[in-house]
Amino acid sequence: MKKGLKLTDILVTIVIAVAFGIVYILWGSIYYSVKPLGLHLDQLIYGMWFIAGPVAFFILRKPGVALLAEIAAASGEFFLGSPWGLTVLLYGVVQGLFAELVFMGFKYKKFNMPVAVLAAMASCLASVIMDFAYGEIGALSTWNLSLFMIARFVGSIFFAGVTAYYLVKVLEATGVTNLVRPVSNKDYAELD
Amino acid sequence: MEPIVSVEKLRMKFPGDESLIFKDLSLSFDQGEKVLLLGPSGCGKSTLLQVLSGLIPNSIEVPMKAEKLKCPSSWGYVFQDPDSQFCMPFADEEIAFVLENLSVPKEEMKEKIQNHFRKVGLNLDHTSIDTLSGGMKQRLAIASVLALEPEVIFLDEPTAMLDPEGTKEIWDLLKEVGKDKTVIIVEHKIDHVLEFIERIVLLNDDGQIIADGPRDTILSLYKNEMREHGIWFPGVWDEYIQKYAPTREHQFTDGLPLLDVQGFSGFRNKEEKIHVEELKVHSGEWIVIRGENGAGKSTLLHALMQFIKTKGTYELLGTPIKIVKNPTDHMTFVFQNPEFQFVANTVYEEIAYSLRIDKRPQQEIDERVRSLLKVFRLEAHRDKHPFQLSMGQKRRLSVAASIVIDKKIILLDEPTFGQDSKNTFALLEWFEEYRRRGITVIMVTHDEHISKNFATRIWTVKDGNVISDENIAQAGFVETKVKRSVM
Amino acid sequence: MNVSYAETWLHGINPSLKLGVLIVLCIVALFIHDLNYMMNITIGVLLLFLFFTGHSIKRILLLSIPFCFIFISTSSAMILFGQGEKLWFEWGLISITEESFMRGLLVGFRALFFAVLGLTFSLTTRPVNLFYSLMQQVRLKPKYAYSFMAALRLIPIMMEEFQTIRNAMKVRGFERGKGIKSVYFKMKAYSVPLLSGSIRRAHRIAVAMEAKRFTDSRDRTYYYEFGFSKKDHGFILYFIILLLAGFYLSIQFPLVSI
Ligand SMILES: Nc1ncnc2c1ncn2[C@@H]1O[C@H](COP(=O)(O)OP(=O)(O)OP(=O)(O)O)[C@@H](O)[C@H]1O
Ligand SMILES: Nc1ncnc2c1ncn2[C@@H]1O[C@H](COP(=O)(O)OP(=O)(O)OP(=O)(O)O)[C@@H](O)[C@H]1O
Ligand SMILES: [Mg+2]
Ligand SMILES: [Mg+2]
Repeated sequence: MKKGLKLTDILVTIVIAVAFGIVYILWGSIYYSVKPLGLHLDQLIYGMWFIAGPVAFFILRKPGVALLAEIAAASGEFFLGSPWGLTVLLYGVVQGLFAELVFMGFKYKKFNMPVAVLAAMASCLASVIMDFAYGEIGALSTWNLSLFMIARFVGSIFFAGVTAYYLVKVLEATGVTNLVRPVSNKDYAELD
Repeated sequence: MEPIVSVEKLRMKFPGDESLIFKDLSLSFDQGEKVLLLGPSGCGKSTLLQVLSGLIPNSIEVPMKAEKLKCPSSWGYVFQDPDSQFCMPFADEEIAFVLENLSVPKEEMKEKIQNHFRKVGLNLDHTSIDTLSGGMKQRLAIASVLALEPEVIFLDEPTAMLDPEGTKEIWDLLKEVGKDKTVIIVEHKIDHVLEFIERIVLLNDDGQIIADGPRDTILSLYKNEMREHGIWFPGVWDEYIQKYAPTREHQFTDGLPLLDVQGFSGFRNKEEKIHVEELKVHSGEWIVIRGENGAGKSTLLHALMQFIKTKGTYELLGTPIKIVKNPTDHMTFVFQNPEFQFVANTVYEEIAYSLRIDKRPQQEIDERVRSLLKVFRLEAHRDKHPFQLSMGQKRRLSVAASIVIDKKIILLDEPTFGQDSKNTFALLEWFEEYRRRGITVIMVTHDEHISKNFATRIWTVKDGNVISDENIAQAGFVETKVKRSVM
Repeated sequence: MNVSYAETWLHGINPSLKLGVLIVLCIVALFIHDLNYMMNITIGVLLLFLFFTGHSIKRILLLSIPFCFIFISTSSAMILFGQGEKLWFEWGLISITEESFMRGLLVGFRALFFAVLGLTFSLTTRPVNLFYSLMQQVRLKPKYAYSFMAALRLIPIMMEEFQTIRNAMKVRGFERGKGIKSVYFKMKAYSVPLLSGSIRRAHRIAVAMEAKRFTDSRDRTYYYEFGFSKKDHGFILYFIILLLAGFYLSIQFPLVSI
């Protein structure tokens, strides 16, 4: 039972992720309209692209969910014909993996805000590493690079950490999370 | 003989509910039996079916226990909601999915798929499921169950959304394919079902079995119980009409028409899906729209609500619709699929929603909501999420939420499907009361009793055209015009 | 997305193989630091995109618009703020050097390369085919493959649901609010029902799939079967030649000199 995700878990994760995939695409047009300014204001909203992992994990609370969610969100974006096509797929895998490692570090047992923020920062770190390989941002002048990093980290913490956390809180209030979480022993006890 | 499905001392409770939904319920079915489960809306029929099939707790985790539970090994299940039982984009792929699960060789698939389509009266090939009407989807769902070639078939109101013809066809079909199978049915509208089944299980509001026996015995001995619990039985309508005779008089002939459309078309994906030559609607009318599945009834309502692109003349209260700022100030709408319209997190807030936006005082909101909760029998569920309700409850909630503020016109898309008799009559009386106050009711329904007993006017839609407009009001203004279609 | 298009040889390539080749190419491209080489192979994939996706030229051109955007936006930061020795232009914080300019172009072309490859793939591959092929050729577990397919089916439904929620809110009088506060309110009013509705629907579909006897076992049959053919060899060959010829040309006939 414990091993692996059930069909329900997988499907729910992927659907959440694909929903975010749509958001990502819309987000992309905002992002690229501020990007050419070059002053990295765009980096403040970059963090949105890390949100699917933490949200899915906080809803399902199971191992592997964060990674799956980021991959699925990226594939959703990919299939919908995002011009970023394959790039997002590569980025998605690495970002999801880093967030997953954070949740694993807490043995998949902690679901509070600090964990969300840490996961967001891990995804952010992953994206920076990818950027070094892909965009050669290492060659940017120092002041520009620092601005870039700060903006991206701050944005990540806000979107993928804080926003993700509160979004799940609101969703919990609708009772939808009970569908995918195990029933407590207390509920069984009430049957007698 | 060993029963093929059985449960003993079933106890079950939804987390957060106050009381158990089933308390020590025992029930068993023999091989080849055809059984009908009857009970008021919300008593737990769908839930029970899910337990018997093993979906609860294998796929849906709900706290339950039973001393003994025997689920069948080969079974098929038709769900109440036609929309979310498919996992593939195209109709043929959906049936193929089932065949794949059964390891049917690829070479045989094409032919089998066509066979199954033919059996349920679908003329499809590689057709996208999204473009099917509600009724066609339900047929597809039945086709995919047939593809399973199951020993036991569970049917949860498989025809709730079908037109009368389709309903009859499906039941004829199920009779045919279910001959040597065990069939366990939940259905409110039992006209066509009765000749098929041999045993009836009656449930009451608390999910207890009040009777279980051969069909004829139950029907003759338990009439009172059935009436009391709002269960449909043959002759309910006649009894009801004798007691509550809707007048169907139509007195509001003065003045401008509320709606006036001419050469009016509605488009989906740039394709014309509905065309109306000319129609005028006055206040205080009760218009029933009928027609086959996929004819374009819902599309007509959507066009009138301006949810889709339209062309042609359309005047609302004498003003061209393009100039009317908020058509929804004058009209309200109940969607065919109730879930589409839920926007709040609890039943109570769902009804209160429009009132809150309208900034009504808290006290008025509370009074109004409470009274609606009572009329629509949802008091016990006021803190639940709308999605957690039973099908009938959802339907009632969607109506309640839409009519909480009076509008001049109410458009309803099949407001009574999946309802027990008590609730159906309550809804109808509620609409009739509105109508007498001069509000116009336009409703899509497949229920012939409603057109026969309540409607003052009937529109028939066929292949995207309103082909007839009969005025059957008993007094006052008479305007009977039959329009030619433009086909 | 119901656009008609002709099937070309690219449609006939085994989807898993196509994806695999593309991913390998992307990884290779990460290690290409020569502008001329990058430009050559980008032209190679542009050819595929422009002439072999089977879509009308009008549509292709329409889809190409974002490419220019991508190119400019990725290269501009590097061009304007990158480090370098040979100064061309300086104005305030902006300093364009030859190195930064060339590197900017390189980054721009790389982004273009990825984008064109990705779009060529999605224009010539039905997702359902890809997942069937992934199950058959890469042994992807059916529970993942079918979940993806079910989720992709939900995309148009979600879009429509968005429309429906809008309609539902109109009916209930929601549209009236204006101003910044109501923007936040609206965001919440849309996203929460959309998300929670999607989760519930996903859950229900999973239940329906299990009711249709879906199991994760791998010995299932497939409605669509995929194997390998000569076209696949041709596809691989095309890229091998592209990589080699591109390299050769970049040395023999560089388009720009650095
Ligand atoms: N997930 C859930 N959480 C909480 N309560 C639920 C849930 N699902 C169903 N219920 C409640 O359990 C009761 C039985 O629901 P069920 O769907 O079985 O009714 P039903 O007899 O099929 O009614 P209908 O004829 O209207 O379809 C209802 O009162 C419903 O509100
Ligand atoms: N969202 C949609 N996109 C494209 N086509 C649609 C859509 N909804 C319905 N249709 C098509 O429009 C036609 C009319 O459908 P509509 O839903 O209005 O039928 P209906 O009369 O309400 O049927 P039912 O009794 O089954 O509800 C059908 O051919 C259907 O396939
Ligand atoms: Mg039910
Ligand atoms: Mg309809």
